[in-house]
Amino acid sequence: MISGLVQILLWQGLGELVSHFLIPILPGPVLGLILLLVFLILKGHANSSLLAISDAFSQHLGLLFIPAAVGVILFLPQLKAHALAVITALVVSVVLTITTTAVILRLIARKDSNDP
Amino acid sequence: MIREQPQIADIWVYLSGSPLFALVVTLAAYQLGNLLYQRTNKNPFANPVAIAVVLIALVLYLMDMSYQKYFEGAQFVHFLLGTATVALAVPIYKGFSILKTRLIPLTVALVCGGVISIASAVGIATFMGADAAIIGALYPKSVTAPIAMGIAERLTVSPTLTAVFAVVTGILGAILGSFILNLLGMKAWWQRGFAMGVAAHGIGTSRAFAVHPEAGLYASLAMGMHGILGAILIPLLDFYIR
Repeated sequence: MISGLVQILLWQGLGELVSHFLIPILPGPVLGLILLLVFLILKGHANSSLLAISDAFSQHLGLLFIPAAVGVILFLPQLKAHALAVITALVVSVVLTITTTAVILRLIARKDSNDP
Repeated sequence: MIREQPQIADIWVYLSGSPLFALVVTLAAYQLGNLLYQRTNKNPFANPVAIAVVLIALVLYLMDMSYQKYFEGAQFVHFLLGTATVALAVPIYKGFSILKTRLIPLTVALVCGGVISIASAVGIATFMGADAAIIGALYPKSVTAPIAMGIAERLTVSPTLTAVFAVVTGILGAILGSFILNLLGMKAWWQRGFAMGVAAHGIGTSRAFAVHPEAGLYASLAMGMHGILGAILIPLLDFYIR
């Protein structure tokens, strides 16, 4: 697991360097993710320590954004003032997103199966 | 008794000044949230992150501790967010073999879903008079929270608001998803799962896995693709719109 963590940290570092010097519009960790993904696809498999660390992270991903999310207490007056707008936007948007994605997938899949 | 009072106060001052306090509160609140989530059979209403945030906010309020002070300690947890983002490459890689068989329909559906997600949220919030800070933070809200926060930093909007909107979106998607998909008469598990992943990232994916393994697999693929495409396209989109 430690060797997996070292690998991840190295990719993160590489991502930060690429972000800083070449592609500043993309965050370092996202570039690290993309670089590691390309590496895994080229290599054809992921080693077990990498699998172990990524399982550990994805199981408790939620824990890691708690410190930032607690910052919502600083925005409470602002959110209260616009509560109706925020709630409407979030609810309608999630309903439309699920609907659009599902309907488009069904349309394309149906068209494909009609073709000989 | 009287002599012990200042001693306890001294210890208290010492502990609340070190990172230990914020770390313990963060992990304990998450542990409690997770326990409730498991006890309620992974009911989306009992989201562990939402529970933890409310509990920590209460503790800070009761102790009269500022958010800045709390974050000084909790930043050690926060730092790992970037590392966890890189680690997302592994589950995306696992989903990659199924992506190859349905690359075009999945990509088209993802892009359309993503565009609708942004257009509807930003459109409604603008129309209803929300301020610029809130509207900006809505752009990446359907992207998985760790990546969404990275995007928010690039858009120079609040990562905190983005994280909160992303978590609420995930919870809403997990609660409403099955209902909407039934109403639409969606039958194929892969289509249902993918729609959940595009709209409601990690929380929707966890819900999809609870419903059907094939749905879960496609939901996690959708979440990964949305994360990568979102990180590339949302800053560009924002650059041209604003």
